[in-house]
Amino acid sequence: MVCHFCDTLHEAGSLPESTAARCVRCGAVLYQNRAASLVRATAFSLTALLLMVVVHTFPFLTMETGGMRTTLNPAGAARALIDEGSPIVGWAVALFTIVTPLVMSLALIYICGPLLFGRAAPGSMTVARWMSLTEPWNMIEVFLLGVLVSLMKLGKMAELHFGVGFWAFALLMVCMAAAVAAIDRHELWDRLEVAKS
Amino acid sequence: MAGCHTCGKVSPVSLGKCPRCGTELHLRKPGSIQKTAALLIAATLLYIPANLLPIMVVSEIGGTTASTILEGMVEFWKTGAYPIAIVIFTASILIPLVKIVALVWLCAAASGKVHPSPAILGKVYFFTELMGRWSMVDVFVVGILVALVQLGAFMTITPGPGALAFCGVVVLTMFAAMSFDPRLLWDRLEILETPPTIKP
Repeated sequence: MVCHFCDTLHEAGSLPESTAARCVRCGAVLYQNRAASLVRATAFSLTALLLMVVVHTFPFLTMETGGMRTTLNPAGAARALIDEGSPIVGWAVALFTIVTPLVMSLALIYICGPLLFGRAAPGSMTVARWMSLTEPWNMIEVFLLGVLVSLMKLGKMAELHFGVGFWAFALLMVCMAAAVAAIDRHELWDRLEVAKS
Repeated sequence: MAGCHTCGKVSPVSLGKCPRCGTELHLRKPGSIQKTAALLIAATLLYIPANLLPIMVVSEIGGTTASTILEGMVEFWKTGAYPIAIVIFTASILIPLVKIVALVWLCAAASGKVHPSPAILGKVYFFTELMGRWSMVDVFVVGILVALVQLGAFMTITPGPGALAFCGVVVLTMFAAMSFDPRLLWDRLEILETPPTIKP
């Protein structure tokens, strides 16, 4: 295999569980054998999927001020931007906070679930390619920081309550990170290749 | 022989496409420096309206006030919310700027204008790829405030043109970081000196 950073050619041997191989020239991690990778990836993405349902059905954040009450969730933030004259920004918010995590977790389940039984689902190579393209655009943790900053901005003028949706969103962030970190990309591709042949 | 950009499999370039995942095979990403430079120029141009135009407009009974990213930060600083002010400053002003400068430096190094150590450059590249997303935080804040503060005649918040420009800066710099091929930095090293001795 070659190093992604500097293109040095290496011979890829098999690794014991929970260890990593590094490039001899630039020190970048080449590939890893993470513990219980497939089980973890599937379990965490399933949990993430369930949490997404909770995030979008239960109250997220409620603001009360002078007898008036408004509520917010990620989809609402995107819709408000679309309605108030910034449709492009609104769609970008929807894409980065709703669509990307959904695509990521669905793709991980679709690929890793069958692999647990030593099989490759039809078209999983294409799905894996799409997943690696969407990965950098997953911004749920950034949205959470955005919620924090907004709270500081509104803290003085209104009373704010967190709903179940908010806590589910915080857990979703952890689950997505765990699901993505569970399996090394090279390991995933190698397993797909073995399962296909 | 070329390593696939997507799945990492090494196969002969003459195949055209990666036999494992179907991505097109290249020795290096084609036109990497040109693409990165073009995206960087666009991002730099957008960075100006992103900071000068208001990102949101607050309409109250007393009148309307439009605020830019910098004004929002200064307001936090004045009210003593230093941590939040620092977070906004880092995510919205510092990170895009550092990213643009870092990528310009990387492009200069890849085309042979400057000659720093590729190992350091590799780390710089890794961090520019990693931190780009955090700049979106201010755009999300605008979205959240617009959704929450809809209190009829009392107070409403609408997004300003700066939000779109800023969103553009973040997306463009992310694409710029992706189109850059870090392997070009090491090609330079091989031209400059004899290949380094490989330690076991």
